[in-house]
Amino acid sequence: MVLALDNIASYYGKTPILWNVSFDVPKGACLAVLGRNGVGKTTLMRTIMGLTDRSTGSIRIADTDLSGAPTHIRATYGIGYIPQGRQILGKFTVRENILLGTFARKDGKEDIPELCLKLFPYLAENLNRRAGLLSGGQQQQLAIARALATGPQILLLDEPTEGIQPNIVHEIGQTLRMLNKELGITLILTEQHIKVARALSDYFIILDNGRIVARGPTAEMSDALIEKHLTI
Amino acid sequence: MGSLDLNSLINALVLGLSIASIWLLAAIGLTIIYGVVGVINMAHGEFIMLGAYSSYLLQSYFGLPFLLCIPASFVVVAAIGLVIERGLIRYLYNRPLDTLLATWGVSIVLMQAVRLIFGSDPKYLAVPALFSSNLQIGFINLSVFRIVVMAVTALVVAGTWFLFYRTRFGMQVRAVTQNKEMAASFGINASRVYMLTFALGAGLAGVAGSLFGVLNIVLPTMGTAYVVQAFLVVVTGGGTLLGSVFAGGLTGELQSIFAAVTNDTFARFLLFLLIVVFLWFRPQGLFAPRSVRR
Repeated sequence: MVLALDNIASYYGKTPILWNVSFDVPKGACLAVLGRNGVGKTTLMRTIMGLTDRSTGSIRIADTDLSGAPTHIRATYGIGYIPQGRQILGKFTVRENILLGTFARKDGKEDIPELCLKLFPYLAENLNRRAGLLSGGQQQQLAIARALATGPQILLLDEPTEGIQPNIVHEIGQTLRMLNKELGITLILTEQHIKVARALSDYFIILDNGRIVARGPTAEMSDALIEKHLTI
Repeated sequence: MGSLDLNSLINALVLGLSIASIWLLAAIGLTIIYGVVGVINMAHGEFIMLGAYSSYLLQSYFGLPFLLCIPASFVVVAAIGLVIERGLIRYLYNRPLDTLLATWGVSIVLMQAVRLIFGSDPKYLAVPALFSSNLQIGFINLSVFRIVVMAVTALVVAGTWFLFYRTRFGMQVRAVTQNKEMAASFGINASRVYMLTFALGAGLAGVAGSLFGVLNIVLPTMGTAYVVQAFLVVVTGGGTLLGSVFAGGLTGELQSIFAAVTNDTFARFLLFLLIVVFLWFRPQGLFAPRSVRR
């Protein structure tokens, strides 16, 4: 298992946001984390990165126990994080944003990987542009390029298609599929678009009120389940 | 009030450059610590004082030449800063008001410790004979040592700029100031960045101290004179490196010109008044501060 969570509870201040969350993700798989707004999807991602105030339970990444490890250590175990709202560094250039990813590498490489430039020609042509000036879709590409620069085994994608125009949504979906199927990078993604999630993922979990309420292979995700937990 | 002819104006501008370099050198370490770590370091004046005493100690007891005392003071005060950051400041990062009190406490402890070790009597730093001579170019008259101070300031500013904008370490620092969580998510150890930046800021105060110890006498209380200046530069500049360079330059020149027209004391009074009025209308300083506040 490339990622294994066991009995995770996570807190902001004293308020628990997630509890009793356990799941495994096999190498090369794509797991969709589904649920309505505010059920804890983003908190789950942040918990994996170690960004919540406190969490209990165990997290293993690539067979290493990283429960309690600080965020910057976790980052060096091959997790590329694409956070909600993209959070690219607006004052940095495109180049600097991608290079930020290289600080998480263990092999000591300090250059922009070929892959990032090949996948996103727009970024390759605008390396010296201030990242704050990019459009939403371009910033999302930049966030993915930055995560890829870490040389990841796992990509954590928090709402990668949120607030992006439909034709770019399709493009990003294809890029993610390629990364997953051809390069064998494990994906964990939260997604509001059920269609995108269905097309990409092998497995799903559904969160409600901080707990996992349903799980299984994506092929078995029934309309009744979607009706019950996902429609508003 | 005297009048100002062209010659004395140029003389005042040159002297202003010298005053500006002192203001800036006093402020640069404080700027870095405030801008990156977000700590208002009340002990900054005492770091300057420690720089002066380090130079005095190395010179009087180990016979180190003055020019080597400057980098040596950097190392000594940076090491002291590192210990203070690891031992105290790092526990207070999410309590900004407490760091204010804690660093004030540190300043008192440092002052008393130096008084215990070296006594309250003034010490003097010896410099090569060349440095105590005067340089006369046309009608412009400036002591060589003031030129040394300007050169060191220019070197320190250039070095700091290079470190922050042209190195991998600098990129880590800038990433942490923009978005600490994202920096951490990509493998940057923010705690280490804060530690090293604090040490760097302290070390630069040490450099300032080793030079100020020559301009003035070395006393345990000498830091208080500089810390006010340093704070004014940081606040006027807005807490960025560029801001401090401009604020230091502006305040130095204004003080010199006011002093040429009136006198030294009135010049300071006028300058402080101007700064207060300026901050009334522009509390964020000359240049906008960092966008993300912890």
